[in-house]
Amino acid sequence: MTFLRRIPRRLIQLTCFVGAVVLVWPVLPWAIAPRIFVQASPFVALSSSIATRSISLGIVFALIVAVASSFKKRWFCLYLCPTGYLLENASHMGLRKSRWWSKCPPVGRYLAILTLVGAVAGYPVLLWMDPLCIFSSPFAVNKATNPISVFLVCLGLGGLVGATLIFGMLWCVRLCPLSGLQDMLFSMRKAFWTRMTASASAQRFRVARRVFLAGAGGAMLGLWARRIGAARYRKSDTLLRPPGAVPEDRFTGLCIRCNNCVHACPSTIIHPDTGQEAGFAGFGAPVIKYDTDYKYCLETCNACTQVCPTGALAALNLQDKNKYIMGEALVDNNVCLTALGKKECDACELSCPYDAVKITWDEEQYIAYPVVNDKCIGCGACEVVCPTTPAKAIRVWTQKPD
Amino acid sequence: MTKDLTRREIVRRSIAAGGLFAAGSLMPVSSTLANQAAGQSTSQAETKVPATIVDGKVVQPRRELSVLQKTSILVVGGGPAGTAAAFCAKRLGVDVTLVERYGYLGGLATGGLVLGIFPLYDRDKKQVIYGIGEELMKKLDVLKFGIIDRNKAPVYPTIDAEAFKYVLADMLLDSGIAAYLDCWGVDAIVDTKGAVKGAVFESKSGRQAILADIVIDASGDGDIYAAAGAAFEKVKTNIGLISRIGNIDEVDMAVGRGSEDPEHPATGKPGEGRPSKGRVNDLNGHAGNSTPAPHVNWLNMKGPVGDALDIADLTAMELKHRRGTWGNVEKLRQKPGNEQVYLAETAPQLGVRLSRLLDGVKKLTVQEIRSGAKFKDVIGYSGAYANAPEFQIPYGSLVPAKVENVLAAGRCISADFEVADITRLIPVCWVTGQAAGLAAALCIQEKCKPREVSVTKLQNLLKQQGAYLG
Repeated sequence: MTFLRRIPRRLIQLTCFVGAVVLVWPVLPWAIAPRIFVQASPFVALSSSIATRSISLGIVFALIVAVASSFKKRWFCLYLCPTGYLLENASHMGLRKSRWWSKCPPVGRYLAILTLVGAVAGYPVLLWMDPLCIFSSPFAVNKATNPISVFLVCLGLGGLVGATLIFGMLWCVRLCPLSGLQDMLFSMRKAFWTRMTASASAQRFRVARRVFLAGAGGAMLGLWARRIGAARYRKSDTLLRPPGAVPEDRFTGLCIRCNNCVHACPSTIIHPDTGQEAGFAGFGAPVIKYDTDYKYCLETCNACTQVCPTGALAALNLQDKNKYIMGEALVDNNVCLTALGKKECDACELSCPYDAVKITWDEEQYIAYPVVNDKCIGCGACEVVCPTTPAKAIRVWTQKPD
Repeated sequence: MTKDLTRREIVRRSIAAGGLFAAGSLMPVSSTLANQAAGQSTSQAETKVPATIVDGKVVQPRRELSVLQKTSILVVGGGPAGTAAAFCAKRLGVDVTLVERYGYLGGLATGGLVLGIFPLYDRDKKQVIYGIGEELMKKLDVLKFGIIDRNKAPVYPTIDAEAFKYVLADMLLDSGIAAYLDCWGVDAIVDTKGAVKGAVFESKSGRQAILADIVIDASGDGDIYAAAGAAFEKVKTNIGLISRIGNIDEVDMAVGRGSEDPEHPATGKPGEGRPSKGRVNDLNGHAGNSTPAPHVNWLNMKGPVGDALDIADLTAMELKHRRGTWGNVEKLRQKPGNEQVYLAETAPQLGVRLSRLLDGVKKLTVQEIRSGAKFKDVIGYSGAYANAPEFQIPYGSLVPAKVENVLAAGRCISADFEVADITRLIPVCWVTGQAAGLAAALCIQEKCKPREVSVTKLQNLLKQQGAYLG
């Protein structure tokens, strides 16, 4: 650590900030860089590993950060965190800061506990509060196709900078669950070496009560969110998630709104949800919309599944991605030009990359209509070429779980 | 061998000279008019040798065929590809003979009633097919009721079948091409090395041969290259029959059920399965696409999957499709306001989409067209269709992998099924036809084989004739 002290902290921070931008903005020929970046947060790596009951290689850096943080208090915040660097600079800007929050307890660590216990229940409740995730999100702005998406992807970081201008370092010092987790790691490491005093014991009781409450809250919130997610999944017909998505009951928790998938999608069909379709719990989570000509989930692409840091979208290779069922195309024969005998159109059949749509001949009625077979994965190639307007005769719908 | 035949032919011509005028009624008008057509000759009344039964098997005796014509380039098939090939080759001053199975030119674009000139545009609504196709459309432009919706991308033009027959007949009569209609190409003539030397035809004049240096197979089914032993892939797809209906107005593409029927909004999740019975009654007075003729629509038919090389399949479809079309028009007439709708015609030709696909020097694949592959030997473009963007067509797709002296043009070129489903369309046939015609003319001029044609020279010729190569 001594050599680090010799280098000005500012310089390291700036270097890390630039490094973060380089990783998230894919200037590197390394498609998974944005995922590695977000996974470097021990908070994300730990919670998602618990929630998905699996470990990915990407958490190696998170482990290093965790160990280092337990020896040097908030080492990550001080030197590496690009969000912290940004907010620190914002806090130096003009406005008079309100410091009412300085007497508040360190909420961040309880938020971290809440999330970790939620993760045990399969739903890491507040994982979207991770600072690296918040930092990564606005980079999806170049794939945002409408002003609402632009607003949604910039909301996290923009909100934090705004709050910092008014309240100073409230976020970093008190709220950030990643710094809370680091504090916990530090005090846990110290607890091994120090003997407990009486006053410390009373203090510890207070802490234990808070920890218990946070844990119970996390478990309850997690289970509750999973229940409403499952209920929505059985009811909703319109919510399409990107390929590799875990079941809907866990998706909105495991997804941390880093918008890496939005950023990665070459077809720009992944949009952050405005909450209309999946309610408050699904706010900002990615949904697929096939509303632009020729823009569908390409059979040559699995980019979104490669950049998800939490496993909300499982890392599928191209072959597996092309077997992942996002939804199923259904034909409304009351709209289809071919089925109505108006025109012979075979755009859906021709555009299907999976041979899933066949224009089938009906000898009895002497007319043809499209039939979708079980090769359909819901990529939307047919929907985007269907010429009927305003309603498409062939559309992708979610498959209800059996 | 060629020398032998020539000598024999000269002898025959001197014998037959007296019978020329007597046989004139059997001769196509164009060939009698075409003075510069080489080796014009007629057959003497040949002695018929009927098939016999030998050991219970029907056997055709070996016999000599009279040579109807000796030419540089023989184009088999007078559809969009064949006519394009013949016109373009003839312009380079080489001898061209065109043979067509039906009594008119234009193939599926006229006799098949495939009146939509599609796909013509790229994704940016820019026209990517010019050359002979654009020339033909310009000729239609000046005719009343000849063509509609020109230069209105993404709406594609629609032609009138009779106007197009007129344009092609007019151009052919003025071109100096020797042409034979009502004449069905039935076999290839190959030399001992397997190189194509011409083709055999069946017509009212009997079975005759046309000798040629290069044969362009624009038969649609690849009949000639298949007979010559070139490798091909046989595919089966839907075979329909197009019709024209009168006293009807155009279908509005911008009408979904949502705006048509408030009781069944199109926003709900549709049920699965086939459309409910009697849906044809719900056509709402609209069927098909408008044509240049007022209040006449052409109505395509998908039809069942059939084998276009099986005469039983073809016969069944000809009959059933005509019955089915009549039935659908009757149902259409039951709709109030549609009492006066009538069936103007069913197409003289079945709508065969694909049958044989050549195994060429280059087989164009669907991955290539989706990824926008560029070819050094590009001879033209196809427009964008469905999710496939506009794509280049390489010269290698027209050249058989092994057999010499033959080029494919039209729907039977070397492409995989999904690509052929686009290259079979009318304007793309013009593109491959023009390229095949010019390549064949280059073979004659440069005395080379089709696979040795200089791509640069071919591309320059294409550009001179106005083709779009990117």
